[in-house]
Amino acid sequence: MSALVEGKTLSKWYGQVVALNNVTFTIGQGVVGLLGPNGAGKSTLMKLITGQLRPSQGEITVFGERIWNNFPLFHRMGFCPEQDSFYERMTGAEFLSALLHMHPFGDAEVAKRVDSALETVNLSSVRDKKIAAYSKGMRQRIKLAQAIAHDPDVMVLDEPLAGMDPVGRRDIIQLVRQWGKEGKCVVVSSHILHEVEAMTSTILLMHNGKVLAEGDVHQIRDLIDRHPHSIRIRCSRPRKLAEALVGFPDVESIHFDPEGDALTAESRKPDEFYGRLPELMLDNDIELEEITSPDDNLQAVFHYLVK
Amino acid sequence: MADSDGVAKGWRNLKTIANLTLDTLFWSKKTLFVGLLSLIVLALAGVGRAVLVLNLVPTALPASQVFGTLMSTAVMRFLVVFVTLFYGTALVSEEVEGKTLTYLFMRPIPKPTIMLGKYVALVWIGSIMVLPVVMASYLILYVGADMRPFFQDLNVLCRDIGIIFLALLAYGSFFSLLGAWLKHSILIGLAYAFGWEGIVAVLPGFTRKLTITHYLQSIFPHQDTLGALSMLVGDRTDPLESIVTLVLMIVLFVATASLIVREKEYVLEQ
Repeated sequence: MSALVEGKTLSKWYGQVVALNNVTFTIGQGVVGLLGPNGAGKSTLMKLITGQLRPSQGEITVFGERIWNNFPLFHRMGFCPEQDSFYERMTGAEFLSALLHMHPFGDAEVAKRVDSALETVNLSSVRDKKIAAYSKGMRQRIKLAQAIAHDPDVMVLDEPLAGMDPVGRRDIIQLVRQWGKEGKCVVVSSHILHEVEAMTSTILLMHNGKVLAEGDVHQIRDLIDRHPHSIRIRCSRPRKLAEALVGFPDVESIHFDPEGDALTAESRKPDEFYGRLPELMLDNDIELEEITSPDDNLQAVFHYLVK
Repeated sequence: MADSDGVAKGWRNLKTIANLTLDTLFWSKKTLFVGLLSLIVLALAGVGRAVLVLNLVPTALPASQVFGTLMSTAVMRFLVVFVTLFYGTALVSEEVEGKTLTYLFMRPIPKPTIMLGKYVALVWIGSIMVLPVVMASYLILYVGADMRPFFQDLNVLCRDIGIIFLALLAYGSFFSLLGAWLKHSILIGLAYAFGWEGIVAVLPGFTRKLTITHYLQSIFPHQDTLGALSMLVGDRTDPLESIVTLVLMIVLFVATASLIVREKEYVLEQ
């Protein structure tokens, strides 16, 4: 894999706060998921990759060149920021046109690219509507459009699925996968594991400003599965349910909520656990109110991994 | 050929940034406030006209004197300062607070060009907001049955417009520098314009030369109270020297602002 983005012993701190700590990585063509809980350092890393921040220590290169103040490189890079900020008075088409005019394109080329980018993100029908009147999903899409309109080779997308509806998520996921297949380098961040899994299997796992793991997402899944999986069940008769569950060998522990209306079970085989649950409920005449899994959030995953 | 291509590209980038900034500045809430200030100046011109027409003062007052007083006080001391302060300090800081700066910094344009484009937009909007007020005030005060003073003093109007434009450039460059550099630039700008300039301008010695207003007063044909006071404690600087100093200040401030924008990391809060 030829390196398009490379970080060597990269650190970034703001005063006393270390946001990124001695990170080394290499990113080539294809989609790479930057995975980590909030505050892991994902956004800082993305800002370093896109030259918005200067490393406190170490070096970051894009296309083999240092990125800080290397403005010609930005013609080959696109960035979709996390923040929901725009020139609100502009229409979607005006926004893209203004930004594309900052690239070495003629007027006709700009117009063509505006049309194409709007079509790609499915916003052609609202091209002349002011951004202030866009829905959250449309705003996310126009933000993505400005990142891809100049057809960059490296795209850095910070939480591109945040606030999108399911259809929008599906569309963006498909686009990201397609760009990866076309040989673009796409760095996409998320704090939700299954979102990243839907876009790529290659990940950089971050926590507390460090890269914990680099590679295939399935390996991370395996690591997670080696640890007990917590399942919280709120039901009509939690004690009766606990009685039924306690005999199964995969169930490691059961705790009751202080209110007495729910229990949390730890299982080493979550699939089997979920499979037998409906039958147990029926046999014991228990009404299910809610099932949640605290382990679905990445914070718990990282807690496992760093232990 | 490559040089001319580079110049054309630079000019295009400058124009794009200036257009984008002008649109943002013009449609901001600041324009309402500045518009109100402009109306106050016009209202003062109206009052001045009423004083002239109704002979409300015991001695005969020429229109040129009322116009001069209006320009030196309301326009130079307030309108120009407020316009450049509000828009100038917002050039970069508003994009940082609004978190839109990323869109500009992620383009293949040198950051100094971005700063320069923004400064051009500031001078542009400053001219739009101030110069028509100057011309309208002239019309209000001079148009009447006897049009001779109107034509006689046109050279004064043209000179005033030129000096006010220079003031827009000078104050604009200084406040742009503050905006690019400091977080609470508007407060520091206010302290400079109405604290430092007010105090230092009437102090004897060299410190008076550490203000923009001193050089403007040295070339402005009209005097306000502060200007008259400052002239009591020291001489004016030679007009040519004043103009050269103002131009050097403008270049220095804009260059420093561009350098700051180039080197500073603007951390946009998530």
